[in-house]
Amino acid sequence: MPVTSTAGAAVARATRFNPRVLAAGAAFVVPLLILLALNLRRDPHAVRSPLIGRPAPAFSLAPVGGGAQVSLETLRGRPAVINFWATWCVPCLEEHAALRAAARHQRDVQFLGIVYEDEEARTQAFLQNRSSSYPSLMDPEGRTAIAYGVFGVPETFFIDAGGRIVEKYVGPLDARAIAALVARARDGAP
Amino acid sequence: MVPVLGRLLILLALLAASAGALVGFATGARPSEAGWAWARRLAYAFAALMALANLTMEYALLTHDFSVGYVAHVGSRSVPTWVSLVSLWSSLEGSILFWGLVMGAYIAIATWQNRFKYPEYMPYAVGVWLACGAFFSFLLAGPAQPFATVPGPPLDGPGPNPLLQNHHLMIIHPPFLYAGYVGMTIPFGLACAALLVGRLGHDFIRPLRNFLLLPWIFLTVAIVLGGWWAYEVLGWGGYWAWDPVENASFLPWLTATAALHSALLVERKGVLKGWTATLVIATFLLTILGTFMTRSGVFNSVHSFTQSAIGPTILVFLAAALLFAMALLTLRVDTLVPEGRLQTGPSRDAAFLVQNLLFVLFTFTVLLGTVFPLVVEAVRGVQMSVGRPYFDKLSVPIGVALLFVMGVGPALPWGRATKEQLRRALLPPLLTASALALLGFAAGVRNAWTALALFFGGFTAQVTLSEILLPVRQRMGSHGESVVQAFRQAQRRGRRRFGAYVVHAGAVLVIVAIAVSSTMGASKEIQLRAGETTSLGAYTVTFVDADRVVEPHRDSVRARMDVRKNGRSLGTLYPRMSRYERQRELIGTPAVRTSLTEDLYLSIQNIDLASRTVGLLVLVNPMVGWIWIATAVMALGGLIALVPAWRRETVVVRLPVPITSASAGGLR
Repeated sequence: MPVTSTAGAAVARATRFNPRVLAAGAAFVVPLLILLALNLRRDPHAVRSPLIGRPAPAFSLAPVGGGAQVSLETLRGRPAVINFWATWCVPCLEEHAALRAAARHQRDVQFLGIVYEDEEARTQAFLQNRSSSYPSLMDPEGRTAIAYGVFGVPETFFIDAGGRIVEKYVGPLDARAIAALVARARDGAP
Repeated sequence: MVPVLGRLLILLALLAASAGALVGFATGARPSEAGWAWARRLAYAFAALMALANLTMEYALLTHDFSVGYVAHVGSRSVPTWVSLVSLWSSLEGSILFWGLVMGAYIAIATWQNRFKYPEYMPYAVGVWLACGAFFSFLLAGPAQPFATVPGPPLDGPGPNPLLQNHHLMIIHPPFLYAGYVGMTIPFGLACAALLVGRLGHDFIRPLRNFLLLPWIFLTVAIVLGGWWAYEVLGWGGYWAWDPVENASFLPWLTATAALHSALLVERKGVLKGWTATLVIATFLLTILGTFMTRSGVFNSVHSFTQSAIGPTILVFLAAALLFAMALLTLRVDTLVPEGRLQTGPSRDAAFLVQNLLFVLFTFTVLLGTVFPLVVEAVRGVQMSVGRPYFDKLSVPIGVALLFVMGVGPALPWGRATKEQLRRALLPPLLTASALALLGFAAGVRNAWTALALFFGGFTAQVTLSEILLPVRQRMGSHGESVVQAFRQAQRRGRRRFGAYVVHAGAVLVIVAIAVSSTMGASKEIQLRAGETTSLGAYTVTFVDADRVVEPHRDSVRARMDVRKNGRSLGTLYPRMSRYERQRELIGTPAVRTSLTEDLYLSIQNIDLASRTVGLLVLVNPMVGWIWIATAVMALGGLIALVPAWRRETVVVRLPVPITSASAGGLR
């Protein structure tokens, strides 16, 4: 019969240091941890948009609630910010206030929303409740979203005065990011 | 209201787990009845709070309460109720919450079952479990908060990932996976306790083995369910792609399987104690590594959850767990003194050793292939991926070698075998081995590895069956019992052994089925117009027509395919292409006709309703169905080995005084 734990309060056996186990463990563990930590910064989904530096795809869409069509042509001559969003997308709601404020303060930049996969009535109700300082356009077949290679919302494109895409931003924007990216759209430097 | 309640429950769970971890460790170091009682209470409290938090989330999901962050993120009014229900684990925060539920359940069961046993070990074990519980509660309280309040909630949400809505297997695959993954925390805690106490004997290896076996069963089933889901949903015709996340579930399975075998040597011979503890600890660490892979966004795969802030937090936990494990093993592994010696030379002992080394080799191979792209990117800054060729090239020989050991090992006697014993053990199984290999050759097998897999598969099958039947024959001979009587008796007396061999039988079948299905299939890609026919092997497939099916949550185009085999009609298959509500990309759903010998697999690559043309992938996959069946056999075998062990232990607990079991010595 092997040794078994017969006494409830038996004292644990004394510690014995085993340097070989330490060496083997460290040889494996340390590089692995360094490797994983190095790769934390990497985003496997971040495929640099092939559109950057290229002319923005053209579109001509009606605003939410109806009205005259807005096309990319009409924006030429000044920088533009095109934000793909939807009412069902929580991060879009988070960035809405920042975009609204930026559009109000930067009159020389045209801000535009393009509604991604959402119903017009619901969008209109949202815009009335929250107010907006720039138009949002309906994209009923999603053709514009496809042309811009939108993966998921929110995605925002910054376009310079010449109509070239300077940068694409994935995820919710805050005031600081908007300011920095708008400045780059003004300079026209991709 | 609901978000606040949820956050409160999470904070209380964090509190219970942290306090319980401290009390557990303190009681382990300075044993006291009161301390142990408190550690238990806090363990139960943690489990109950996690259960309540999960119920709260389910309530929010079912009532479409979009003021709860997670519901606003994955909920939708347009999905069926079952989808709302399973949305709990469809995205990051919810899946961590579900993790907490499973963990709480495991901890509560393991604590309850051993509340009167192993008094020196259990407080440490509870301490380790609750420390892990505290970490996951912390994740839920901060970095991956499911109960964030959404100001001005939206009226509707996007719904969960459409891939998850596509097949009912998605209801069961994640829970099985979590039950396997999370369950590895329990043996980890027990192994740590053994190291801290400095003893891993005949008695304590039993709960360790049983609590390793239970999650192992779940993990086995989960891995194969994942493959089955990929096969039925993703539409590329295969079931395993060596995707980083598939590997993440496979790695702990490999080390756990190795540990289940080395635990047997601990139990029988009192050897390999430190090694077994190391394997169990490695299993747990690999589950955390796997969690990191899936949740950090470092790896790209079908499974990866979107970029999230929890990557660094999990990495910190992984680092802490690795360093803790390293320190524990460095300082304490030599306290686990062996009580016997391993035999050298041809024997069952040696087979166990070889088996263990093969499994560890397999683990390193898969781990290397999984992290290698990261090494390359860190060093050279280029993105690359390690493809299937690497994994296939290395895993096939290891798999065949394992099949070989699985046959030879049980045929050999314990201790040193004589030449005569070797001859008698190893020659008869060559019969089935050759028969199966010849059968394969006649059926067209020309691939050397497949032929070898069939040969060893036959060998192992015969050894396994005769090991299952050996006690039956012995009883029939010595007790003069009938076959049925002898079988029942033998099975009752040696159920663990019986269960283990049932697992082996399933494993042989899985390996052979994988070998055959991956080398003996046929495929073809073709563009068809309505009315056109194509054939592959004995099958002819006619594209009759395409129509549109509109459901609340998806809009599909369905192709109607008339299928005939050797001219006889097999009915109609409907592969489809669907677009889910609020999702841009199209998702194909293949149609599979499964039979015992082979599957006919139809997957739409593209379809145009207007011109009525379809791009079709047709595959004939032999023996794939056997992989699912054999996995069920493995799981059944695991249960057979597990259940009587627990029943027997429960009986020990219920015994009136005097208690004779040595392990119950600490009882009052």
